[in-house]
Amino acid sequence: MSGKSKDRLEDFYAPGAIVFTGKARQPEPAAAALGRRARQLASASAATSAEVGEMDIRIAAAEYAIATYTYRFHDTRAGQGGVSQRHTLFGRATQIFHQEKDGRLLLVHEHLSAAVPPEVEKSGSK
Amino acid sequence: MQSISVDQVRSEVFKFWSAFEGKTRSSFEEQYSPTAGVFAVDGRRSEPARLMWVRRDREFFGPQSSVRARLGTITVQLLGANLAVAAYPLQFSVVRTLPNGKRVGVDVPFCRATQVFQIDEKGKLLIIHEHLSSAEPVAPKELPSQ
Repeated sequence: MSGKSKDRLEDFYAPGAIVFTGKARQPEPAAAALGRRARQLASASAATSAEVGEMDIRIAAAEYAIATYTYRFHDTRAGQGGVSQRHTLFGRATQIFHQEKDGRLLLVHEHLSAAVPPEVEKSGSK
Repeated sequence: MQSISVDQVRSEVFKFWSAFEGKTRSSFEEQYSPTAGVFAVDGRRSEPARLMWVRRDREFFGPQSSVRARLGTITVQLLGANLAVAAYPLQFSVVRTLPNGKRVGVDVPFCRATQVFQIDEKGKLLIIHEHLSSAEPVAPKELPSQ
């Protein structure tokens, strides 16, 4: 995600994948969430980085695995009101992967959330 | 082995919240695999179900605590014959008793739940993973002692 490539991001999801993104109130199809995420991150001035914590993997069935982990996500955006930096310090992720016939792993379900609201820093307009 | 159905998963979700609201400890615990992992709404990391049972028992199942949940539409993904995911929004209100004896009320109007169910060898659906979260920040309110 920190690489900002919409095509690459979409490649990780199965066509019928369902996701809960950071602030969404309902589960939604991954395609809708990815479109929104791509628009948010597409700005040339946007910069993102992520650090993934310890990961727990559970093989739930022959072709399915559940990955759970914590993460930190940093997002910098420039807008008319100046530059804002958003730091998600206590991100939590659940991702369920399916192994396709060709061996690829695709996400069929994702739940991203934060245990504590992100910290936001704003600096003056340019 | 029988396959999981969408109705069966929805029924388990309602049963789960009924046990939680009713503070029926045994029914509540029986719905989890002992090896399940859980992200609580405010948990900074995943915790084992056995640890969560002890914490929820202390905080939510005491005489001065209460749990209320109003479930939204439950989306069910059937992943093969013995695995399914339930994803749904809910309004969640709790009064919890902290280890220091203080009571706090927490309203989570935009709670989100993911519960992964697996069918065991006896044909029972068990939660093997749970992720609860809030779409909006929530602030606990300290309540007077009863």
